[in-house]
Amino acid sequence: MVFSSLTFLYFFLPLSLVFHYASKNDLYRNITLTIFSLVFYAWAEPFWIFLMVFTAILNYGAGLFIEQRSGSHYAKIAMISTVVVNLLLLIAFKYGGFLYDNLNYFISLPFDKPTNTLPIGISFYTFMVISYIVDIYRREIKAQRNPLNFLMFISLFQHLVAGPIVRYSQIEAQIARRKVDWSQLSSGVTRFSIGLFKKVAIANVAGVLVDKYLNTQLFELSSVESWFGILMFSVQLYFDFSGYSDMAIGLAKLFGFDFHENFRHPYAAVSVADFYRRWHISLGKFFRDYVYIPMGGNRKYHDRNIFVVWFLTGFWHGANWNFALWGAYFGILMILEKHMKFILDKTPRIFKHSYTLLLIVFSRALFYFTDFKQLRYFVGNLFYSTNNSTSGLKSDISAHIFWFALVVLFCIPWDEIFHKEHQFRVKAEKSYLYLQPFVNACLIFISTMLLVNATFNPFLYTRF
Amino acid sequence: MNKKINVLLFFTVLFGFPLLTLLLPKVDYSEDEKRKLAQFPVFSWESYLAGHWTNKIDKYFDDHFPFRRALISWTPLFHAAKGFESKNEERVVVFKRKGKSPKEQAKAEIRDTLTFLDEFEENFSGAMVIIDGCVYPMGAGSPKMGKAFASMVSEYAQRFPEIRVFSAVAPLSSAFIPVEKYRHYNTKNRNSLLAIKNNLTNGAIFSDVFEELNNHSRTKLYFGTDHHWKPIGAYYAYVAFCKSAGIQPVPLTKMTKKVKYNFVGTMYQYTKDPTVKAHPDTMEYWEPQVETVATNLGSQSTTKGTSAKVFYETSSGGNTYSTFLGGDHPLMRIQTSVKNGKKAVVVKNSMGNAFAVYLISHYEEVWVVDLRYSKQNLAKIIREQHINDLVFAVGMYAAMSNGTIGMMRRLAFQGGTAEKGTKALKNTTRLGTDSIK
Repeated sequence: MVFSSLTFLYFFLPLSLVFHYASKNDLYRNITLTIFSLVFYAWAEPFWIFLMVFTAILNYGAGLFIEQRSGSHYAKIAMISTVVVNLLLLIAFKYGGFLYDNLNYFISLPFDKPTNTLPIGISFYTFMVISYIVDIYRREIKAQRNPLNFLMFISLFQHLVAGPIVRYSQIEAQIARRKVDWSQLSSGVTRFSIGLFKKVAIANVAGVLVDKYLNTQLFELSSVESWFGILMFSVQLYFDFSGYSDMAIGLAKLFGFDFHENFRHPYAAVSVADFYRRWHISLGKFFRDYVYIPMGGNRKYHDRNIFVVWFLTGFWHGANWNFALWGAYFGILMILEKHMKFILDKTPRIFKHSYTLLLIVFSRALFYFTDFKQLRYFVGNLFYSTNNSTSGLKSDISAHIFWFALVVLFCIPWDEIFHKEHQFRVKAEKSYLYLQPFVNACLIFISTMLLVNATFNPFLYTRF
Repeated sequence: MNKKINVLLFFTVLFGFPLLTLLLPKVDYSEDEKRKLAQFPVFSWESYLAGHWTNKIDKYFDDHFPFRRALISWTPLFHAAKGFESKNEERVVVFKRKGKSPKEQAKAEIRDTLTFLDEFEENFSGAMVIIDGCVYPMGAGSPKMGKAFASMVSEYAQRFPEIRVFSAVAPLSSAFIPVEKYRHYNTKNRNSLLAIKNNLTNGAIFSDVFEELNNHSRTKLYFGTDHHWKPIGAYYAYVAFCKSAGIQPVPLTKMTKKVKYNFVGTMYQYTKDPTVKAHPDTMEYWEPQVETVATNLGSQSTTKGTSAKVFYETSSGGNTYSTFLGGDHPLMRIQTSVKNGKKAVVVKNSMGNAFAVYLISHYEEVWVVDLRYSKQNLAKIIREQHINDLVFAVGMYAAMSNGTIGMMRRLAFQGGTAEKGTKALKNTTRLGTDSIK
């Protein structure tokens, strides 16, 4: 089940809210939320739910053991072995086929290629349990004693399928007891409505254009069309994922949780490093805290650490060499930026912003094309194409001109331009308060209308 | 207060729709979609574990959503609000029937300057739409003529039961006009071609060229300045043929790719529209990696003729499409390095030129018969050359005209060496040739 489906919106969500708020008892609420989360997962993944429950049991036990033996070698061994088992499960299920293909290229393997489907959300919940185990080992958090509460933390439907990667420390208190007031509910409603609209009315519309311009015979594309196609993919990717994160954060608020922000207007970034401080923040922080800093951070082998982190980030996104290439591309860019900082500091903001956007949009090609032949052809096409026809493009641009304006409006970091005390912002927020309920209702209505009309509606990030 | 309104309004919508789903009367059939709406699925572990049960529930909710019909009908308002619709440089030009005005005489002169004349120029009259420099004919054949074409192909299948007879008719480019309001031409083309499929008998095989092209309609399959399909369009027709013939199509990556630029073809000559001239076509084409010896044969001999080629690298300008087989020749024999003993005859008009060249990967000999110009007896060729497959690879205009259908019938009887055929076939042949006159 995905958030942007009629079944979720008008069947699962109302039912889960009714059951959750039927009693004020915390234990009852946790039980119903866990059951609904398991149903949510089992809806799409009837079989691999056992893997998720196994992961929860394993890490629940390991967490208690590590805390009990805190400071001893046993704790270290238990921490390392639990992290390794978690990673091995991730590798086996996500990278099994990829490893098989690559090993089989050099040595003929005596068994068949694994053909399992990728368990939904495995990349997200594996990182969540790793952070949980390492944080207990570091004595930054206390292990959860109640197995039900721990299962709820792992399986919360709000983050299970496509993140964000929620740290235990962020919601530890809310797991035990949640207070919900009108303000939090209202904030959740607004966030969810915006997220749904971003997914359905922007990402899906961009998806149609992506399909038209990239999922085609590449030799038919002119350079301008190629750039347009990859720009639309950048739009789709951002609105798809940030829309999902908005919905997750909004839904969490409706049930009394506070998730951290996962996006902060990334397309307003003025450097590649700045971009990734704004994009998929929970993943960036995970790699920072559990890979980059333990490897030495900026104290020793800084360049190597940056490169390794980005190479791994690339692989996290998918079991294919193009994702590794994508990671390496950013690793190199980050290192170059670090060494060229003195130039960037003196560069006018508009140039820094343009440079960042260009590199980010270009990187989407590495993300989109899993076939290297196609990728090479497409990259060539970006700079030179034998076809110079742009007739279809012109009509597509004019047919989406207001929609593009909306995309730009959503990408502008208004909250950074007008700080909290800014007079204009204070006035605007005050007036908007009256409009907000109706704007949200409109967003929900438009999204529902498009969902009723649509049949094709997958979330891109569920494949990770 | 506003926060409460915000939450309550959201919950009203959130709970309102499910309540209406329960309260409103159930509809089992959608008139607009002409289909039965999804039923609530019966649970079984097998269905659940395969993911079917939950999928069916999703479909059930989708199908029975309150005011579904109204919501669907309002969706175009959202799409219209995204920008300006119909911003294309679009205009419709109408051509009168030939010979009816001095203008038509001028057009006849234009035709004389063209290297490859065929029934398109001969027969076409009517409207064309020019969108951003690309010309599309506003026609789509008819199911009635599809039936007539199917009847002719079926007669060949009846007469030559020892060989496979294929119908591989190309739709018009009107099927793929990239503007929503002309979408109905897609359905019309499909219906005309489906009429062929539904009326083929005697084991004649239908190659679903339309479906294959339609699956790739995002790609530009036809030239904008010419009435032919692009080599990529012909390739998908070849894929459709391969599927129906049970052979594996050669991927484009296994062929040698070449490109020709600045092709301004018949449609410009026909329309003289400056926007068409301003959008010359680029022709990318693929040569199968097969050695060939091609011979253009005259009206008598099936062995002696003049040397020819499958691909004419030097064809350029207005003759770019003549790259394939050098344009239209009455009869061409292509011998290939594929030594599998299989032979095919392709009966074609000019649309078939770009198609026939792909077949050299699968046959030891390919005989290319131009339905308009060949003087040799097709029945004799089939018998004497031990042909395995006979393919009618023509454009829509050849398949949808009594005149050209008659020409295709006549191929089996002409040249004074016709073999004995059925009485019915002879009669229909006469009718066909009569209609040409």
